[in-house]
Amino acid sequence: AMAGGLEPDLAALRQELSGPAAVSVLIALIAVAVTFLIWRFVQSRRSSRKAVLLLGLCDAGKTLLFARLLSGRYRDTQTSITDSSATYRVSQDKSTSVTLIDLPGHESLRLQFLERFKAAARAIVFVVDSVAFQREVKDVAEFLYQVLVDGTILKNAPALLIACNKQDVTMAKSAKLIQQQLEKELNTLRVTRSAAPTSLDSSGGPAQLGKKGKDFDFSQLPMKVEFVECSARGSKGEEGDADLEGLEKWLVKVA
Amino acid sequence: MLDFFTIFSKGGLVLWCFQGVRGPAATAPVNALIRSVLLQERGGNNSFTHEALTLKYKLDNQFELVFVVGFQKILTLTYVDKLIDDVHKEFRDKYRNEFQQKGALGLLNGTFDFKDDFMRLLRDAEESSRVRAPTVMKTFEQSLKSQKTVKCMIETRGEKPKEKVKNKKNKGSKKEGTEAAAAPSKASGGDKQPSAAGDKEELTKDEILQKNREEFFRRHMKAGEKSRSPKPDAQKEKGKKPRVWDLGNSNAKVLDYSNSATNGSAEACPVEEFDPDMALGDKNREPGRLYDLEYESEDEAEEEKVVQNTSKPSAKKGGLGGMFGMLKGLVGSKSLTREDMDPVLEKMKDHLIAKNVAAEIAVQLCESVAKKLEGKVMGTFTTVTSTVKQALQEALVQILQPQRRVDVLRDVMDAQRHRRPYVVTFCGVNGVGKSTNLAKISFWLIENGFSVLIAACDTFRAGAVEQLRTHTRRLNALHPPESHGGRTMVQLYEKGYGKDAAGIAMEAISYGRCGAGGAAVPPAVPPPHPSRPFPVPPARNQGFDVVLVDTAGRMQDNAPLMTALAKLIAVNAPDLVLFVGEALVGNEAVDQLVKFNKALADHSMAQTPRLIDGIVLTKFDTIDDKVGAAISMTYITSKPIVFVGTGQTYCDLRSLNAKAVVAALMKA
Repeated sequence: AMAGGLEPDLAALRQELSGPAAVSVLIALIAVAVTFLIWRFVQSRRSSRKAVLLLGLCDAGKTLLFARLLSGRYRDTQTSITDSSATYRVSQDKSTSVTLIDLPGHESLRLQFLERFKAAARAIVFVVDSVAFQREVKDVAEFLYQVLVDGTILKNAPALLIACNKQDVTMAKSAKLIQQQLEKELNTLRVTRSAAPTSLDSSGGPAQLGKKGKDFDFSQLPMKVEFVECSARGSKGEEGDADLEGLEKWLVKVA
Repeated sequence: MLDFFTIFSKGGLVLWCFQGVRGPAATAPVNALIRSVLLQERGGNNSFTHEALTLKYKLDNQFELVFVVGFQKILTLTYVDKLIDDVHKEFRDKYRNEFQQKGALGLLNGTFDFKDDFMRLLRDAEESSRVRAPTVMKTFEQSLKSQKTVKCMIETRGEKPKEKVKNKKNKGSKKEGTEAAAAPSKASGGDKQPSAAGDKEELTKDEILQKNREEFFRRHMKAGEKSRSPKPDAQKEKGKKPRVWDLGNSNAKVLDYSNSATNGSAEACPVEEFDPDMALGDKNREPGRLYDLEYESEDEAEEEKVVQNTSKPSAKKGGLGGMFGMLKGLVGSKSLTREDMDPVLEKMKDHLIAKNVAAEIAVQLCESVAKKLEGKVMGTFTTVTSTVKQALQEALVQILQPQRRVDVLRDVMDAQRHRRPYVVTFCGVNGVGKSTNLAKISFWLIENGFSVLIAACDTFRAGAVEQLRTHTRRLNALHPPESHGGRTMVQLYEKGYGKDAAGIAMEAISYGRCGAGGAAVPPAVPPPHPSRPFPVPPARNQGFDVVLVDTAGRMQDNAPLMTALAKLIAVNAPDLVLFVGEALVGNEAVDQLVKFNKALADHSMAQTPRLIDGIVLTKFDTIDDKVGAAISMTYITSKPIVFVGTGQTYCDLRSLNAKAVVAALMKA
């Protein structure tokens, strides 16, 4: 009785499918599927990676850099305890814009905020205090190392710019010197850190930084690394403009 | 009167600043405030002292602003709190548009011209504190003295007036008691009343007499009983027999199972068959690598979903008005108030205390989180519980990552470059695992290719030197000199018992430095002695990379021992001072750390005293998820936890994983 009940239904279905309505139904389904896929693709491309992160140690000058880029004026700043973000128009003629995100540099906060924003990072500006660099080289290298071995960042490989800030002070170190010292320090760090504990997130050991046999070099990294000198305060004092040409040019390139 | 008043956003931009009479820049003190108070979750108390200034602050969590006022410490200005509140309200109302609509760009581009309003508010506040009617003296009629009777104030010879006042109350009630007939009942009645009226009051002459009479009667009666009781006891004694156990016939000699040969003499102690598997435990491990603590990272989302589910049905209950209000609370922009947060915070505080966080720290932490969340606008579909839990979780992660991570290997390499040994000192109370973890750390260092000198500065505890000697022997068996190019990787420097620990440490450090050539006076080679078959070899090209100094355990209250420890650390200036604490400790952790730090600070002659640099958390395998001790210790010292000990074999050394620990803490 059941088989008998099904038979006429199947026959009716077959009849329906063979008609012209079937073709249109099929086309509609395909169109929906294709639109869905295209929408997902565009969505993922659009929302992921529009942010430029400003990272660095405490007192490197990130917040002032943020203020200068966005408004052009000098502002007094204090230690940030939370992030600030705003849209930055890269240049006057092109209408591309990126989201500039200024993250706090304090040790207790920096990793938490990095976790939150690293997936959306299209480029990273690592701000270094060129005056205090000699004293702080180990801390700078440690933070840079933590940024570079992060899984998400290795996967996305956002462009990295190391901005040697505070060049208006006479004792500031040059970008070349900073690069050399950082390479040396990172070379040592990757040995000591691989002997130290790993975090639970990265499965099986910290990622190897650079090539194993040779000394560490920034060119061995999967992302493009550049060094630029800049001064957020500006050489003409607080009233004058900041010296951010290199940084702005790089932002145009990256956007 | 005020030194400065700043208003800045949490993102770091200073919106408005007022520099008072004495004008040093406000930046440094405010930065110190941010780093010590806000970032270390000590935000419960809203004032902070920095050098000569007192800073008071207020957070606006809705628009992410901070208001800070600074004034000289020696002044006590009473109007400051009111001033901050008024300024907060007015500033917020005046610039509400900038904050709400334009976000960060609004803060950057807006001009905050607040000076006039501020001066006005300041003037009002100063005036309100000044104007207060001088207190009028009370007249005689209003005072209490006029209500006492004259009689009670008359002193009679030999008795105090105070009791007279109290006895006035008693006399009324006593009169009924004294009318009772028999002596015992009188005694008991009189007994009751003085005890009811108060234990400490003195009795009048009559009452004293009566009391003595009662005592006499009582004793007399007791004496009668006593004379009766010894008799049955004596009878019992005759019948008393010694109890016989099954093995009770044997005496002490038979019960002594210790090997007579080895008891007490070191030479006869046989070199045991060293089993590397037993010592090492884990076979499949990478040598030299320090693994991380393993925790199953629980799915936090489950908990939160459960919480939300329970809150949504409650929204459906209730009348129309109530439902509307609750829906609005769920969906709309509801700002958190103290009353909303209090029950949740209470629960979280109890939860933390149940997880072995010290009580005062749990309280301070919850206070700080409340301050951070007050007035914050919740997003859609977030409940109070989830917001508070999220904030608490962030605060806990923040506490566990206080400072630059102590990277021992990196620092040892630095010291190697300067041709001097890296000195680590272990201190702590008794029985926390200093020697065991010292052995584990030396194993880890040897695996990474550094040679270790162990200084046995525990000259008090019986067997301390032998314990370290056994460890040294085992480590040398695991890493014989042949496999490291003929270099002895680990050696023990000891001078027996009873000597001065600081002196031994100094000698050990100079012995460790000897390889660089041109050390100070080489340590005197002690003559061979029958009780010391392990003579200290003459110092010759014996440079060591790391010197680990083991000290005796001492209680934090023991002043002379704390002085001795402080002297050891001040004189020898070690590179790293590690406090070893066990994870089982509860509220004691706070006391231990505070007193240790205090002792180190008090007895140091230097400007910046050497305090505890890091913490080693031991016996972590004995607690399941009651990991609160980690929070207590890092909160008190704000120094990181460098190592975690999870067992007694050499491989049980891990490093702290902040996220895993916080996950275990927040787990229900």
